[in-house]
Amino acid sequence: MELHASKRQDAVIPTASMADIALLLIIFFLITFQIEVDKTQVALPATGIRLEVPEKSAYISITEDGTIRVSTGEEISQIVPMADVVSFASTTVSRNPDRAFVLKADKDTPYRLVDQVVDALKQAQAKTIYLLSEQEVQTAGGAPAAGGA
Amino acid sequence: MRIRRKDRGVSEEIPTATMADVAFLLIIYFMVTSTFAATRGLDFALPEEEENPPMIEKEESVLIAIEPSGQYVVDGQPMELGDILDYLEPKLARNPLKPVIIRPDPQSSYGYMVDVFDELRQGAERGIEVKNISIPTQREIEAFWN
Repeated sequence: MELHASKRQDAVIPTASMADIALLLIIFFLITFQIEVDKTQVALPATGIRLEVPEKSAYISITEDGTIRVSTGEEISQIVPMADVVSFASTTVSRNPDRAFVLKADKDTPYRLVDQVVDALKQAQAKTIYLLSEQEVQTAGGAPAAGGA
Repeated sequence: MRIRRKDRGVSEEIPTATMADVAFLLIIYFMVTSTFAATRGLDFALPEEEENPPMIEKEESVLIAIEPSGQYVVDGQPMELGDILDYLEPKLARNPLKPVIIRPDPQSSYGYMVDVFDELRQGAERGIEVKNISIPTQREIEAFWN
């Protein structure tokens, strides 16, 4: 019986498909990427009921120290004084009467400030406000607790 | 003079090994720069302007006051958040449209108002649906009640 010496093969890991997978991931990120119009850092209250905010909603954010930022949902939010919230809301509603407003307020914000903003939205005849919140987490004892930072 | 033959050992492949490196660097960039934006919340329909808004007598409604400390006072009685729906259940059984008014103190925290509003909205899951919730602003309270 004739014996052949086995041919030596190079040890190569096929990496050609790695780039395809990575590019698919990039396409996924690009499609799902949304520009965040308001980047105010606030500790949101936790709620059990959470509905999806409509796209292109106008944003009003209030920090604990009373800084107010507004955005029509199409540009990055800007700091405004409380007195200008009514005119902002009126202009936004006059352009699109069905536009929803998102109130992004810190849970420790004095209610007085929230009250003034809600009053401004009522005066501007806004139809719906979404009180932005994070998911409430049920603890082992059944009592609700805030979920994450 | 000796003429050397061209080396035929050169590969004709396009080098794609670095493509994966570049793509993964882009992915890492997207992952680092992306933030988890909260896009959910409690919806709160504002009443439409009416020529003659219906007057609600304080006596006909359930008033949930929120003190600056976060204490809930329902119809004058201090109450825990978890007990409010139980208190409302018999009243709503008699009148499903009974108005429930949330009146936070201006010095209280916004979070307490959201907690009680969420609690009332979650009542529907327990069969205690509060259909008529209103949160009047300070201006409305001064205009109508004082």
